[in-house]
Amino acid sequence: MLRYIEKIGRATVGSIEELGYASSLLAESFYWIVFGARRGQAVSVSATFYQMLQVGIAAIPICAALSFAVGIMLAIQGINTLKAFGAESQVVVGIALSVTREFAPLIIGILIAGRSGSAIAARVGTMQVSQEIDALRVIGISPVRYLVVPALLAMIVMVPTLTFFADIVGMFGGAFFSVLELDISMQAYIDRTIKALVVDDVMQGLWKSVVFAVIIAIVGFVNGFSVSGGAEGVGKATTRSVVQAISLIIVADMVFTFYLNH
Amino acid sequence: MTYKITQYAGYSVIHLEGDVDLSTSPNARKIILECIEAKNNVLVDLSGVDYIDSSGVASLVEGYQLAKSGNTEFGLVNVSQAALDVLQLARLDTVFPIHLSLDAVAKVAKEPG
Amino acid sequence: MNKKIAEPVVEVQSLVAHYGSCEVLHGVDLSIQDGEIMVIMGGSGSGKSTVLRHMLGLNTPTSGVIKLLGQDITHISASKMDALRRNIGVSFQGGALFNSMTVGENIALPLREHTQLDEKTIRIMCRMKLELVNLAGFENLMPAQLSGGMVKRAALARAIIMDPKLLFFDEPSAGLDPVVSAELDELILRIRQAMKTTIVVVTHELDSTFRIADRITVLDQGNILMVGAIDEVRNSKNKRIKDLLERRAREIKIDAEEYLNRLTGETG
Ligand SMILES: Nc1ncnc2c1ncn2[C@@H]1O[C@H](COP(=O)(O)OP(=O)(O)OP(=O)(O)O)[C@@H](O)[C@H]1O
Ligand SMILES: [Mg+2]
Repeated sequence: MLRYIEKIGRATVGSIEELGYASSLLAESFYWIVFGARRGQAVSVSATFYQMLQVGIAAIPICAALSFAVGIMLAIQGINTLKAFGAESQVVVGIALSVTREFAPLIIGILIAGRSGSAIAARVGTMQVSQEIDALRVIGISPVRYLVVPALLAMIVMVPTLTFFADIVGMFGGAFFSVLELDISMQAYIDRTIKALVVDDVMQGLWKSVVFAVIIAIVGFVNGFSVSGGAEGVGKATTRSVVQAISLIIVADMVFTFYLNH
Repeated sequence: MTYKITQYAGYSVIHLEGDVDLSTSPNARKIILECIEAKNNVLVDLSGVDYIDSSGVASLVEGYQLAKSGNTEFGLVNVSQAALDVLQLARLDTVFPIHLSLDAVAKVAKEPG
Repeated sequence: MNKKIAEPVVEVQSLVAHYGSCEVLHGVDLSIQDGEIMVIMGGSGSGKSTVLRHMLGLNTPTSGVIKLLGQDITHISASKMDALRRNIGVSFQGGALFNSMTVGENIALPLREHTQLDEKTIRIMCRMKLELVNLAGFENLMPAQLSGGMVKRAALARAIIMDPKLLFFDEPSAGLDPVVSAELDELILRIRQAMKTTIVVVTHELDSTFRIADRITVLDQGNILMVGAIDEVRNSKNKRIKDLLERRAREIKIDAEEYLNRLTGETG
């Protein structure tokens, strides 16, 4: 019994410590973005663009495929459910709102957490094990400025961009199925989508995705920097960062949705 | 670092003085390269140099290369032991024409051929 | 003669360090003079790497003072520490080359980050250092394509690219064959000769130690056993030092009952 309490206690202390570390990483990142140039350590633009390429451009095909599939899935479910009320044609509104507000940011968040969040943890963990992080510090290069900030900025730009892209592809996927199933024209579908959507719906999804982006990057780095114990440690940190990031994304999504719809 | 350029026996002599280090060597480099680009035969007098680091030596290397490609002469004069140590470390003492003094240069220059 | 009066380049005073709640350094004092090669020697687990990490400012001591080039790095602003680090080079045990960059980019990184030198100057400086460590022509290879000895030499080239006043070297000869390790020692001596660098080497290799050291610090279980010139250490009467020099296994007295308890996991 006592042992259990002790275990829970230690885990609590551990996660509070981790939370503290995460916030300090975030704070330090903003410090370098604002004051880096003044300290003679400006954030590298080329490194940021390179990260954007890795996080964003390279993920376009898989994002397109997934959001298209989600769009079709929503159309199938929507039409089936709405048939019971004889309101199949309302599926257009349903798809438009659920893709932009919920599914696009969530799918992209989970995808990027699995794809790029894990890559961050693995890369930084490996650098930690091989003393490359120590080498950076000893050379006088802040690892936060050099590694964290470019990846964080790239995430903050690319995750919402991909989400917007997924909005469009997802709705197109829904349209694709609905047009075949409901016997309406593509033009009519698009017109009704535009009428149904307001800017706020899209913005709600995009704001969420900014938060997801920060979660993915910071969770990846916290786990990467905390690696100890060789290759096995790197593997553990990678897995851990994906699980943590996805869990946090879903929780954050719930909190977000709750507040935005009240 | 300060510098002064004099003319001697057909050479432009660049006298460098003080420390040639990471912060001052870009300036030294600019002076040397400009002098060579103006088609002068150039000597760099290191007698007043207290300390020269590898960025300074790299500038000398670049100057020598530029002089060679422009068919002008380039050499070092009055190389102190400290500077020589740095050149030797990179095995560059055998690469540069190193003269003991300006007089020695003049003697060689006067000889025909 | 004013070398003796001059302030030491490295000064460590009563350094105490913990990993978690375990005290691993129990008050280490160390003073390294300008232009000196100091070898920190000791058995495995004696705390060599820990002392080094503290001197590099990678770990924060529990208590004690660490001064590098006259500045106390335990109480120094971040920007002053950055400035100080430009005068310090470090070659890590495993090289710690950045795996995503070529050898040339690795060596040039400190220059690119800290100076406004022309790209041409940077490239010449890199090649000069590569020549120095006998790696001419390898600048476009990736670290993964190098052998262990080559990685060490490339790491040394990166460590000295800014012509540091103070050079730290962790285990220069670990994992190298005797010939390559002797070459590396030779290189360390030449660098000191030409650049008057103060060099701190951490190693457990005796041959290497006796080749390069001006003075030796012997560390044992988190304490300094002695500091002295090569001959003083060689002639030391201290039993632990003799064991270390003669590569004798530590004699471990066996308390039968306690040993039995240890094996069976019973306490008391
Ligand atoms: N990260 C760590 N966490 C906890 N204890 C550590 C850690 N690193 C080292 N120690 C402990 O500190 C003590 C000193 O270790 P250190 O690595 O400084 O020894 P060393 O002299 O460098 O040995 P070696 O020659 O094997 O590298 C050892 O008892 C070791 O178990
Ligand atoms: Mg060690």
